Amino acid sequence: MTKPGSTSRLRIDAAACDGIGVCAHLAADILELDRWGFPIITVRDLSRGELSAAKRAVRACPRKALWIETTAVPSVVQRAPGVSTPS
Amino acid sequence: MTPDELTMDQRRAPAPMSVAPDASLVRQALLLHGVQIDRVGEADPWEPAAVEHLEHLVGRVGPRPYGSLDLITVIERAGLTGHGGAHVPAAAKWRKTLQGGGPLTVVANGAESEPLSAKDATLMRQRPHLVLDGLAIAAEALGADRAVVWLHGDDHGTAATLQGAIAERRAARLHEPALELVMGPSHYLSGESSAITRALQGGPTLPTARRPQDPRSRGPRTLVHNVETLARLALVARGYPPLPTMLLTVLTPVSRMVFEVPRGTPVVDVLEGTGWLRNGPPQAVLLGGYGGQWASWRDLRSATFDEPALRAAGLSIGAGVVAPIAHGACGLAETAAITAYLASMSARQCGPCLFGLPALTDGMRALAAGDASRRERAQLLEDLRLVEGRGACHHPDGATRLIASALEVFEHDVVEHVAGRPCHEAGRVGLPVPGGHR
Repeated sequence: MTKPGSTSRLRIDAAACDGIGVCAHLAADILELDRWGFPIITVRDLSRGELSAAKRAVRACPRKALWIETTAVPSVVQRAPGVSTPS
Repeated sequence: MTPDELTMDQRRAPAPMSVAPDASLVRQALLLHGVQIDRVGEADPWEPAAVEHLEHLVGRVGPRPYGSLDLITVIERAGLTGHGGAHVPAAAKWRKTLQGGGPLTVVANGAESEPLSAKDATLMRQRPHLVLDGLAIAAEALGADRAVVWLHGDDHGTAATLQGAIAERRAARLHEPALELVMGPSHYLSGESSAITRALQGGPTLPTARRPQDPRSRGPRTLVHNVETLARLALVARGYPPLPTMLLTVLTPVSRMVFEVPRGTPVVDVLEGTGWLRNGPPQAVLLGGYGGQWASWRDLRSATFDEPALRAAGLSIGAGVVAPIAHGACGLAETAAITAYLASMSARQCGPCLFGLPALTDGMRALAAGDASRRERAQLLEDLRLVEGRGACHHPDGATRLIASALEVFEHDVVEHVAGRPCHEAGRVGLPVPGGHR
């Protein structure tokens, strides 16, 4: 769970990833597949809803290539207006 | 200009370093003298080169001080940065290493993966003890369990010199950590620091992604320093001020020249000294080698070899490789050949690299041949964006940066090639790219 004052990002170990693509089904809002079938993360700082989708993707990955990185300092990256930030 | 015209001039090594080494001079330089070597392969000098024995080193700069942790402030004040190409501050690496608690291996990385670069091999062959001193100092300061010199498996000349130097130190009964020489694979990526780390911990010599680790974990730690960084450390630890010099490898039409210049030397002077300006300026210069980037002569004409200044102009010298190409050469064909080489040297672990680099190669080859369709050109730009920053290591980023710089520097050629008017030289590759001569 994202604690106040921290941000979470989904990360990929590209060397472990085999492009199976389960993640893209489970977390379509935060990642997409490139033309070779490998995931690209499209959202940097995850909202509460996005975070639970990300966790599903992390658990489902057959290659254990995904993890969630939580940093204490909030990111300065601007989110699109209208999207709630966990705080 | 023909190779014959250049040979006479280039037989003379650059003036400042060609004088016989004496104590006062060597204190102000890393290399004993400049050397000239073949365009490809091992760094065997054309003329016999000096090797500094242990007693010579001690005579010149004094005995090696014991490595203590106080050095971290010394190297920080000296502004010691990595000389493998990335220019990371050495003190930052030490701090990160000290956070962990597991068994520690300190590595002197002498595996110069960049095929054009020969400054590390030249340094190790001339002053092996200075590099080994730096390794011993770092190992002592950080309390390392192993101190390793890591080389490419095919670098026989350097290995022989280092073996001799290690034997000399044993015979002198120096009180220091045991220094090991480890020969890695000859592959391009075996000089990559995460690949070395993995290999020395018992795995394959392949890059790994930096996955999160508890900073207080007791897992094994590996600290990788470039050999030039350690040579500089050995001098700074003795109390000498940081050397205001750079080691360069300059590619000429007939050879490579490895020598040392004061930091801030004008690019023009170096090209003049290596015979490049005799028949007018070069068309462009590849800085940093095959994993580096192109710079136009317009941008370099008034530039100096000073990393911060180059960075401010969006350039970098990387590990000190300078590879100019003459007017008439086709920068797009050269770039296509380099991209093909980088694709062939992928560790084939990460999808974006495994599939992306061959796709980029196809795009560059079509562009160089002058038959790239609108769709292929759009695909090339799209793939550059797709591949950037997505590998576990920075190998694919080297390729995307190279291509992006080529599209900018050779912008005029791109227009001509797209209009169906490729360069006359589009079928020929002038750089000694392995497998590039089709």
